[in-house]
Amino acid sequence: MDRQKATGAMSETELAQVLAQVRAGDADAWGELYRRYAPAMYRYCRRLLPAREDAEDATTEIFMKVRQKLGTYDSSRPFTAWLYKVASNHCWDTLRRRHIRQDLETGDVDELPLEHPDPSQLQRLEAEHTTKQVREALAKLPDRARAALVLRYFGDLSYEEIAETLGVRRQFVGVLLLRARHQLRDALGQSAVRSVAAGRKP
Amino acid sequence: MNGNDSHFDEMTGLFYLEGQLDAEHAHDTAQHLEECASCRALLRSLQREGDWLREALTTDDEMIPARLMAAPGRNMAQWVWFAAFGMMAGGAYTLWTGMVQPWYAQAQAAGFTQGNILTMLFFSGAFWKGWDAMRSLMEVMAAGTLGLLAAWLLRRRLRHFTAAAFVMTGLVLLLALPSTTGAAEVRHGNPSFTLAAGQTVNTDLIVTADRTEIDGDVNGDLIIFSESATVNGHVKGDILAFGRELTVNGPVDGNIRSANQSLTINGNVEKNVMGWADELLVAQKARVGGTISAFTGDAELDGRVGGDVLAYTRLMEINGMLGQNVSVTADRIKFGPQAVVDGQIKYTGRVEPDVAPGAKLASAPIVTIRRPGPNYARAGYYWGQIMRWGASFLFGLVVLLIAPVFFASVVKQGDRVGPAIGLGILFLFATPIAAFFASITIVGLGLGVTAFLLYLVALYSTQVFVGSWIGEKLLGLGSGIGPAIGRLALGLAILRGLMIVPFIGWMVTLATLIWGLGALALAFHRIMRSRAPMEALVAQ
Repeated sequence: MDRQKATGAMSETELAQVLAQVRAGDADAWGELYRRYAPAMYRYCRRLLPAREDAEDATTEIFMKVRQKLGTYDSSRPFTAWLYKVASNHCWDTLRRRHIRQDLETGDVDELPLEHPDPSQLQRLEAEHTTKQVREALAKLPDRARAALVLRYFGDLSYEEIAETLGVRRQFVGVLLLRARHQLRDALGQSAVRSVAAGRKP
Repeated sequence: MNGNDSHFDEMTGLFYLEGQLDAEHAHDTAQHLEECASCRALLRSLQREGDWLREALTTDDEMIPARLMAAPGRNMAQWVWFAAFGMMAGGAYTLWTGMVQPWYAQAQAAGFTQGNILTMLFFSGAFWKGWDAMRSLMEVMAAGTLGLLAAWLLRRRLRHFTAAAFVMTGLVLLLALPSTTGAAEVRHGNPSFTLAAGQTVNTDLIVTADRTEIDGDVNGDLIIFSESATVNGHVKGDILAFGRELTVNGPVDGNIRSANQSLTINGNVEKNVMGWADELLVAQKARVGGTISAFTGDAELDGRVGGDVLAYTRLMEINGMLGQNVSVTADRIKFGPQAVVDGQIKYTGRVEPDVAPGAKLASAPIVTIRRPGPNYARAGYYWGQIMRWGASFLFGLVVLLIAPVFFASVVKQGDRVGPAIGLGILFLFATPIAAFFASITIVGLGLGVTAFLLYLVALYSTQVFVGSWIGEKLLGLGSGIGPAIGRLALGLAILRGLMIVPFIGWMVTLATLIWGLGALALAFHRIMRSRAPMEALVAQ
């Protein structure tokens, strides 16, 4: 459902029709498809990639890929799911190619605090932070942690798909997600502290 | 916090929420949840955190860049692709018939085939007569499109310009190797170099010195980098010279190709003379067997020339015997009393030719008078301006459709007026100088020539970006390809209109070049990914 909201997607029959037209080489249909999904794709890339220009480039490149690969799309699966999978792969490739992935493949599971976090602390964190602050904190996370959160909670990718995209074991995805949540909490906690220290409204 | 052993950990909670637990494990967890308030609270928090993350990630409270919406499917305007393909085909044809074939023929005629390929490429390239024939707008456009396509196809590799530069330089070196690894003697003057009379160099001779005097003979090519050079001996190959002065008194069996402030020929040159010089003098006693191609300030031909004469110069004086056709673009042309021209004379200049009574011309010169500055009263002038607008529009369109993101990025950088102008001034003046210095060394030649060609393309494209910027300010940021084209067309028309206004036009042109070049540089810098240092440098 969230995905529907995020993309402003067309109805299924409408989409099927447009896809058939695009496959038949209809330029207007392609334009229609692009206009419908480009904004969501751009936002998706924006969350995954650190710089705005990268997200813009990635969006156009993803659509070029989509166009080439449309033949391989299995129409029994949701189109948006496929789209997000293509986009995830592209962005992750971009990040990886840039060699700025800080965290290592194996990951240090022992760092995970396994005790209960304080629920009230969680609530406080969420109440205090605007969407913008969350995004800023997110941008500071290591690439893989950020990607895991975005793929899961924006792209609605399954654990299998996430594992495949990020090149980790299926069993490791949960660890990755939980650790990413912890890192985000830390980042938000810190920025809240700093905002207070700077005498600004948190 | 974790008082009870049966409490589940956060990981399990997350897996439970996301449906990742197997049936049995999930059942146990659900049961535990019913009786444990602490775990329920944890689960609720995790759930809320998930919702809240989703919300933060997907909320669309952010502007989608207009340029992204201006770049929909790639075949939105198929006719543009048809046009581009047409021009590409035209470009390929022009290049083949106009460049490759004549080059081959020319190279053979000039005896270059056994010589240095590098020399042939760059010297023939620079002195290529075909540039003159390429004046047709469509041909230039076609060649430009071809270049753009190549750049687009190579864009992944070109991302790292240094890599590209290395490749180009490597290529050039590779071309140069087969011949330069052949025998050549390299001499450095200290500070002057003299090859004494009676001495003979049997290979090529390369000299770098303040003053060079060649009184002996050279059996190969003579290549001189020298402030002033005098050649009295016999050179059996070509003379290639860079410097302030070159005087050739002795016989030369090959060609003379020089970039000097002044070039004086007193001897006998079997083949061709090509000179970039402020002053070119072919003295009365001199004889040139082949053609003369001159790009000069003043050119004076008093000797005998066997081949054609092609000159772009300020002042042309002919007082010798010219065996073939003469084609001159100059401010003025003078035929002295001793002038004898057997072929046809084509002259384009500001004033009528000055023909002395004794001059013997086989046929009356074909004269085209070009008045200095634009002729505002002539309708053709405005037609020409419209054609130029059309050409720049077409060029802009191709750039827009091939690289929409880059295009928009450059236009956006135009907003940063200060840094753009600063960088623009730097690049406008520094690039040709840097390219020139790079070209002086053999290693940098490929880089220098590449940079200079790119520089020219960049200069031409500035109007497109500045035009689009103006269009954007006037029409606003509508999304879609249509408005983007509209902005380009309007902006370019306004720019062209401003450029033809007397006096102001020059300033507008200069401002466009500087500003556009700066925006281009800024945009390129972003693309090159090494953002941080430059950003810090030019921010605010």
